[in-house]
Amino acid sequence: MAEFSWDVRSPLERALIAGPYGAQGDSGVALTEIRNFDLVQVMARRGKAGEMIAAAKARFGVAAPETPKAIGTSDASLIWSGPDQFLVLSKGGKHSIEALAPVFAGSASLSDQSHARALISVSGDKARAMLAKLSSIDLHSDVFGVGAAAATSMDHTSVTLWRGADRNGQAVFNLLVFATFAESLWHTILDSTAEYGVTIGHSEEF
Amino acid sequence: MRITCPFCGERELGEFTYLGDAKPQRPSADAGEDAVYDYVYLRDNIAGVMSEHWYHGGGCRAWLKVTRNTLTHEISAVEAAAGAGAAKVGA
Ligand SMILES: [Zn+2]
Repeated sequence: MAEFSWDVRSPLERALIAGPYGAQGDSGVALTEIRNFDLVQVMARRGKAGEMIAAAKARFGVAAPETPKAIGTSDASLIWSGPDQFLVLSKGGKHSIEALAPVFAGSASLSDQSHARALISVSGDKARAMLAKLSSIDLHSDVFGVGAAAATSMDHTSVTLWRGADRNGQAVFNLLVFATFAESLWHTILDSTAEYGVTIGHSEEF
Repeated sequence: MRITCPFCGERELGEFTYLGDAKPQRPSADAGEDAVYDYVYLRDNIAGVMSEHWYHGGGCRAWLKVTRNTLTHEISAVEAAAGAGAAKVGA
């Protein structure tokens, strides 16, 4: 009989090898997989979008995004994922699906995506140059500023892309990808980033 | 060709899937066999301005109604299809 391992593992556990990759010297890109997060999809029920937004405001102190953007609170990010729907990204269980169920009772349907997506953070000098090979979206700061978000595709794979707070004066791009597509997209990202040199790692911190 | 999604903005064609003519309406249950046959099988082959359904599957996953000239690919209007987004109930 087959033996199964039920340990919780990252979808990138096999593909991700921490350390330098590609061109030698100063790495132009930092690629960090963020592990162990809570992710809940919130979708308004028919005719209840207003109630859903009010419920989000009561819970998080900010209105849910109604246009493509990501809104950060002290302990969660609300990321637009389509009309009348958004994702709640957090960690530590405070905004898990169990915690959010009573908040959105009657106004929205929730679905737990915590183990259904991989979260990859891209930063560094050449982050935008690398992403330009994969994305047809204009990621220039004038157009795609901090907090901008997009439901889009990279290498024919659906992703949720948003720009987080700058780190060390540099843009940080986050992308959520379906777990089963994560390894494929990861290899495409490595191919695209090799010429710039990349530092690969993983973290439990956003 | 690019389509300006009313929710996402301008996006490349690769993010969308074409469904077809947005004009046919499901006939009433007592409309008869000819009306159902027409609805299911018969399509006009329009050379010119056409109303079409497109699906933004590589983006926000909304259904869109696009007015497109099939000769020039010029798109003159894009709107959310009925039912796209829970707020637009009955639209
Ligand atoms: Zn869209």
